[in-house]
Amino acid sequence: MIVAMAISTFIRFLLQPTSIAPLAVFRIVFGALMFFSTARFMAYNWVEEHFVKPIFHFKYFGFYWVEVLPAWAMYGLHWLMLLSALGILLGCFYRVSSILFFICFTYTELIDLTYYLNHYYFVSIVAALMCTLPAHAAYSLDAFWQKKSYTEVPFWTIGVLKLQLGIVYFYAGIAKINEDWLFEALPLRIWLPAHTDMWILGYFFQFVWVAYLFSWVGMLYDVFIPFLLNYKPTRWVAYMAVVIFHALTGLLFPIGVFPIVMIFSTLIFFSSTFHERLLHYLPTRFFGTNSSQNALKMPSWLLIIFCLHFSFQLLFPFRYLLYPNNNLFWTEEGYRFSWRVMLMEKAGNATFYVKDGCTGREGVVVNSDFLNLHQEKQMAMQPDMILQYAHFLAKHYAAQGICNPKVRAEVYVTLNGRVSKLLIDPHIDLTQLQDGWEAKKWLLPPP
Amino acid sequence: MKNNHLKSFLSSICIGLLSVAFYACSSSDGNNSNSFDRALMLQNYAEKMIIPAYANFQTQVNALQTANSTFQTTPNSANLANLQTAWLNAATAWQSANAFNFGPAGEQGLTKNLNEEIATFPVNTARIEFFISNNDVSFNNFERDTRGLMAVEYLLYESTQGVLSSANKRNYLNALIQQIKTRTDAVVTAWATYKSVFIANTGTDIGSSTSALYNEFVKSYENLKNFKVSLPLGKRAGQTQTEPTKVEAYYSARSFVLMKAHFTALENLWNASYGFRSYLENATGGADLVKNTTAQITAVKNVLNAIDNNSSFSQIIQNNPASLESLYVEMQKLTRFFKSDMSSILGIAITYDSGDGD
Repeated sequence: MIVAMAISTFIRFLLQPTSIAPLAVFRIVFGALMFFSTARFMAYNWVEEHFVKPIFHFKYFGFYWVEVLPAWAMYGLHWLMLLSALGILLGCFYRVSSILFFICFTYTELIDLTYYLNHYYFVSIVAALMCTLPAHAAYSLDAFWQKKSYTEVPFWTIGVLKLQLGIVYFYAGIAKINEDWLFEALPLRIWLPAHTDMWILGYFFQFVWVAYLFSWVGMLYDVFIPFLLNYKPTRWVAYMAVVIFHALTGLLFPIGVFPIVMIFSTLIFFSSTFHERLLHYLPTRFFGTNSSQNALKMPSWLLIIFCLHFSFQLLFPFRYLLYPNNNLFWTEEGYRFSWRVMLMEKAGNATFYVKDGCTGREGVVVNSDFLNLHQEKQMAMQPDMILQYAHFLAKHYAAQGICNPKVRAEVYVTLNGRVSKLLIDPHIDLTQLQDGWEAKKWLLPPP
Repeated sequence: MKNNHLKSFLSSICIGLLSVAFYACSSSDGNNSNSFDRALMLQNYAEKMIIPAYANFQTQVNALQTANSTFQTTPNSANLANLQTAWLNAATAWQSANAFNFGPAGEQGLTKNLNEEIATFPVNTARIEFFISNNDVSFNNFERDTRGLMAVEYLLYESTQGVLSSANKRNYLNALIQQIKTRTDAVVTAWATYKSVFIANTGTDIGSSTSALYNEFVKSYENLKNFKVSLPLGKRAGQTQTEPTKVEAYYSARSFVLMKAHFTALENLWNASYGFRSYLENATGGADLVKNTTAQITAVKNVLNAIDNNSSFSQIIQNNPASLESLYVEMQKLTRFFKSDMSSILGIAITYDSGDGD
């Protein structure tokens, strides 16, 4: 009885009409950020470097069927992405634009696993959420043309974005609660001294206590910021912290547009009045709402979809607990898609040997013949990529005339500055192994 | 949460942080600060290593040119012998300068880095002979394996009669040496102004001097291991036999002289006073790496020094293949200390886009 009452109160809370302003601002901001980020990607010639030049692409588990398209199509796709981001920004053919953007963006991310970034995953998720949200019901060209706009939407349409952002921060925070991060100030005591040339602040980066300070503040920030942003009295202070935190990480680490994405996305936590004030700056001729008060109703089956989505979001990052004796940082079983951001300093050196199964002659592979620097660097420390690459080498050299190629790898990995150690048994024939969900028993224990 | 609750919450966070900071300071292992002056390191490298290496190479190239002029005027075997000596001196001096392929010596537009421009091997003898037969010394192409120090070597050593009897060959030789000198002089001159830029760029990102110096150091080591040892030894996947003709300095059989000079140069680069080694000693986890690297450098040197300088690569393959095998193995062991372990500990960027997963 009490449970039923609680549920119905909760549902009423979710369906409660609220101002559309935060959602409309989020749409505009998200569209603008994605436009900028795509333009930046293209301007850096990364379409060429990431998708056209590489000989081999590392696939995502379960997405082995995703293939890279020819160069002209990859460029076309990025132009389409620009256009659809613009469509999102303006609220112009919004439904088509948002779906198109989601598909294009997610497709390009799925082409090569070595380019995986948590913030790309975040963008993919938000893009998917945006496909379903009525973010164009006001302050959009669609609303202007149809002469129909809504002033209110159900609360959950804004709540899902806050929840998603909250999960990113909170999970990034609890991931930092580990011995190395808190009690050794690792990897920050490795990373900070590399930036002692930074203006004014750089001087402090040489001190170990600063690394400790940053580690603890970083952890506390991530864990508490969603709550502090959500709570009105602390909101402005929390937002200042958001700006300072992301500006600093942006200066320190090569993490691209991620800091700006977070600084602007977190505006969603501000009140409706705040967003309405922002929207007053828009040209009212095109984007003004008509004055009639009307609340948009959303189909209730969407709620079920979102329940499923957030159950996944909350549970999936904990899958690493299902692996027996799992050293997460070493094996990376369950590491990705879990908001473990800038959490460890890991690097590897992987040397592959291909043996002719008939003659027994063995030769060493020069990785740069097949991989670019970034691909090699990422592959050399991540077991599933090492396995994929070994299978590729077997296929490649079989085609070159090596009979029954066997591939083994000597992989030394250093974790948080510790002496490097073998990751896998260097005698094992990798072509005999398959990637999967089960624990990778062929990995050697961590240092 | 009332306002004073909030205050007590925030102040407890502050107290927590202060106690952590205190803990960090008091429980330290004597390594409270990673103070290392990268600008000073860069200055040391520029003034005590890079600029002198180029200057010495320039001197040897000038001597090569002088010996060449004498030989061109009077092409006899005594002058040829002098020219061969001058070539060996220049090629040896180059080993100390071949790891600095950035800045003025880096790739610029259609010009590749200095090492590729003047020291590519193996040379394409068929194409060299083709240009010689047409008396074509325009170098109006991108065939870098028809030019440079190793093309000079081919002409000086391929047969005793070659350059002595053929005016076309002497003409090609002359043009080769002139081109090496032009390239070298340009880089030496540019370093005079580039020096201050190099020292001032004290970051560790891609494009910084530390990153450029480090990445080229690693590349030079990889070249030594992959192209001067592994490939001629037939160690590469897909090779079915040894290929000694692909070694550096095949025609003069001075491969091991140059190989030793190359390794010593890299050792000196790593070991330089207030250089990479000191940088590592100041970094978290660096002490162990320095210990392991030093031991492995010794291991490589022990194998290398046991190989006779006067033997050709093919002779060693024939007479003592085990020594080359163990040279490769020891070099392979050193790779990770120079490569992933070192860049990881020093936080030096090796690519433009970094994953956030690491």
